[in-house]
Amino acid sequence: MMELNNVLGFPILTWSIFLPTLGAIIIWLFVRGESAVRWTALAVSVLTFLLTLLLWIYFDNGTAHMQFEEFHPWITAFNVNYRLGVDGISMPFILLTSLLTVVCIVSAWDCIKTRVKEYMLAFLILETTLIGVFAALDGILFYFFWEAMLIPMFLIIGVWGGKNRVYATIKFFLYTLGGSVLMLVALLAMYFKAGHTFDLQALMAYPFNFEWQFWIWIGFFIAFAVKVPMWPLHTWLPDAHTEAPTAGSVILAGILLKMGAYGFLRFSLPICPDASQYFVPLMVVLSLIAVVYISLVAMMQSDMKRLIAYSSIAHMGFVTLGTFMFTQQALEGAIFGMISHGFVAAALFLCVGVLYDRMHTREIGAYGGVVNVMPKFAAVMMLFCMANVALPGASAFIAEIMVLAGTFSADQLYEMVISSKWVAVAAATSVVLSACYTLWMYKRVVFGDLVKPEVKAMPDMSWRELGFFAPLMVLVLWLGLYPMPVLNVIHVSVANLVEQATSTKLHAAHALAQAEMLQQTVLR
Amino acid sequence: MNPVNINMPVIAPLIPEMFVAVMAMVILIGDLFLAKEHKVWSGYLAILTCVVAGFLTFSMSPSHAVTAFYGLFVLDPFASYAKLLIYAGTALAIILSLDYIKDEFGVGEYYSLMLFGMLGMMIIVSSPNFVTMYLGLELMALCTYVLVGFQRDVLRSSEAALKYFILGSLATGILLYGISFLYGVTGSFDFASVGAGIAHSGSSGRLAVLLGMVLVIAGLAFKVSIAPFHMWTPDAYEGAPTPVTAYMSVAPKVAGLVILIRVLVDVMPSLHVEYVTIFTWLAVLTMAVGNLAAIAQRNIKRMLAYSTIGHVGFVMLGIIAGNADGYAGVLVYMTIYLFMNMGAFAVIVLMRRDGIQGELLDDFAGLSKVHPGYALAMGLYLFSLAGIPFLGGFWGKYVVFMAAIETGHLYLAITALLFSVVGAFYYIRVVKYIYFDDTRVEFNFVENRLMQATVAVTAIAVVGLGLYPGPLINICKAALGGII
Repeated sequence: MMELNNVLGFPILTWSIFLPTLGAIIIWLFVRGESAVRWTALAVSVLTFLLTLLLWIYFDNGTAHMQFEEFHPWITAFNVNYRLGVDGISMPFILLTSLLTVVCIVSAWDCIKTRVKEYMLAFLILETTLIGVFAALDGILFYFFWEAMLIPMFLIIGVWGGKNRVYATIKFFLYTLGGSVLMLVALLAMYFKAGHTFDLQALMAYPFNFEWQFWIWIGFFIAFAVKVPMWPLHTWLPDAHTEAPTAGSVILAGILLKMGAYGFLRFSLPICPDASQYFVPLMVVLSLIAVVYISLVAMMQSDMKRLIAYSSIAHMGFVTLGTFMFTQQALEGAIFGMISHGFVAAALFLCVGVLYDRMHTREIGAYGGVVNVMPKFAAVMMLFCMANVALPGASAFIAEIMVLAGTFSADQLYEMVISSKWVAVAAATSVVLSACYTLWMYKRVVFGDLVKPEVKAMPDMSWRELGFFAPLMVLVLWLGLYPMPVLNVIHVSVANLVEQATSTKLHAAHALAQAEMLQQTVLR
Repeated sequence: MNPVNINMPVIAPLIPEMFVAVMAMVILIGDLFLAKEHKVWSGYLAILTCVVAGFLTFSMSPSHAVTAFYGLFVLDPFASYAKLLIYAGTALAIILSLDYIKDEFGVGEYYSLMLFGMLGMMIIVSSPNFVTMYLGLELMALCTYVLVGFQRDVLRSSEAALKYFILGSLATGILLYGISFLYGVTGSFDFASVGAGIAHSGSSGRLAVLLGMVLVIAGLAFKVSIAPFHMWTPDAYEGAPTPVTAYMSVAPKVAGLVILIRVLVDVMPSLHVEYVTIFTWLAVLTMAVGNLAAIAQRNIKRMLAYSTIGHVGFVMLGIIAGNADGYAGVLVYMTIYLFMNMGAFAVIVLMRRDGIQGELLDDFAGLSKVHPGYALAMGLYLFSLAGIPFLGGFWGKYVVFMAAIETGHLYLAITALLFSVVGAFYYIRVVKYIYFDDTRVEFNFVENRLMQATVAVTAIAVVGLGLYPGPLINICKAALGGII
């Protein structure tokens, strides 16, 4: 039994993971009546959020080691263990998940009218799998949560989604499953190579030679690139986002996309540093395509949700770009960008949800002059649109400037075909392009003359709606003006990751191969 | 051991077989004295027989191989575990029959045919000898032919039985032909002696040995629906009464896979390279046929027939791996498959409409609104069949894929995983009918406590094994003791 680093002395991660499921089981068995179901689900999600706050309070910023560790043998026959722990990279995502789940449950309060109970159950179980993904330190445990997430998400889009929901949800399911199976192959292959272990830290430490790293990296890449999603594997996302119910889109944009980028940080970079460096040109090109091309695509959308979905892909392009620059600044910017995008994209989808609840259409052309009847809403949406454009003062600005600066200064680290300065310049076009599509949409929806009679009849936001926007507004502004609470948490872990990702495993792999050869010669 | 000095053959290992045979005959005779409305008691008695046989096998399960009848019968942990699976599969199929079959002619025979079929499978998994194997195979096959055609007034049922019978007879002929080649080269029917004989046969008998191997593999492949010997499966599954389909989809597959493993391990170790090549291509073909053809089906029984073929394709990865992990993986997979498949059939049988019980995919439309309980269970089975965690089916796939990768069949594992994605499509399409669509037809559900309990138990087992598969995997590994 290893030493477990857990300052709290009680299994807080297990509780955070399974409290939502426990709540779901209680709701399923004992709670009757829609109102009671809503309140219980809210109570469970708030309780989970408060529990995960403890992680943040007791988190030790000064170390890159895993914290709040837990270890139990799970399947001894294959050395699969129930091993949990968080570091500065994963901990913020757990908080983000538990917070957005609360927001989702509140946002669904009135607009979900059918099968309320199943809806709440699906969201609580989804929360379990998402927190599990971010807390797992065993490859198979990670895969287990990663795949289990498909079941509730499939049902959320399929049951409560829009007109074309069946197509969208099946496409989402098959894309993600198809991507993930290759990750399973990579995990199983590593298991036998690295001495029968799925332990993430053991795999990070094991010196794979370049050929192994190459194929493992590809296996992981497909799984993560589908999830992020990166061009050209992104086509499931606009459909899924558009057809999902509002809260489903919030979780998709807020958390699910981050799982892919988190996978790069947790698996690809530390386990295959040499392959990661080798594939930098590929990642840079794909990221730039996401930033530039997808932004242009976003501009042409007539459906608000579709537009925000494409904008998410573009922002995630920024994240993957920052991830593969291997500089402290760019990596911190990428992680910060994910957190920030979690708030901003979620809020934008909620804005669309607010409009959709009143008009039951997502067409931009159906609106116009909303500011005249919904001034409060117009102000809120203005804030988040500006945040999406990465205006200074909003959290996204910090992320974008860090990624750009980090990219700009990445040159000295290693050679690229073109200078990373030009990459930074190309990526900076996103500042203009995102302003184009976001503000143009805002203008067409909110401003203009109030001519349409349906729009005239729209009531402004209720207190409940303001209520779930409030924490997001506070966070976007707070992190935009003072990002240190998040940056402090991730700083040491990112420094450790930069060291892992920029070092090489090839010397150790070479030495290991020679040692094995020597051993065989001696045996013979 | 010198057989001349022993007058009485050792029969203790056959106690479960003898018990089942006696009970099958008791049911057959007892049926004569039961009034029509009491014939369901034959069914209860048959279930009881399975349970008691399970206890007998469990209490007798030896730690090493025990032979009887001068080496014509073997009882080892491998056979014991397979028998437990076969009892469970048969008992569940009988439970599904209780309501379904009650208005048919000859109910009593039905249950004793099921038990005789089960006896055949028990003999198969315990055979260390081609003759014993053949006996068991024929007993099982003849019973299933009759069971498939049990609804003799239904054209489809009779047609299915006839097709199955003709193709089955052909396959048996091929199998016997293959055995005759091996006998010709080695002069023995005993697996171990044949194996030793093949290993020392030299180049002169090479052609005969290869021919024999191919024919034996073809004959056995027919029984477990490995493509391209699967042609009978969809027709027989569709035409047979649904509980018989359920019966055929698990227990005979377990028996067939177990004897296939025995033959490969005992008879053909020296032909390892050859049979791995054959099986690799057969596995790819089987996965392709099963998973692709299932997409086109509108009839749920036919879809599940192709699904069975697809799953057999996945299981073959464990056989191709050919090590302890692989063979244990086959047992793990079949155990989990037993629960999820029988559960799915239980829901199908429970959904009765106009006297027809569960036929078209459309019938499932809106099930979640009519009966959330069955919908949830069916959803769990389907996601499990698709191999999504936290459900048992994931670990079934996991163990065989792992064994395949361990033994260097990386490309095969990748192919299988991609086919499992294809397979996921037609399973989640049924979930779509259940959860996303509106009700199209009226149901009147079968009220049967035992069947509802079956649904509950299998659903819990699928979830339980999905969350904590460790003990099952350890048991299956232990069950290999003695054969490898």
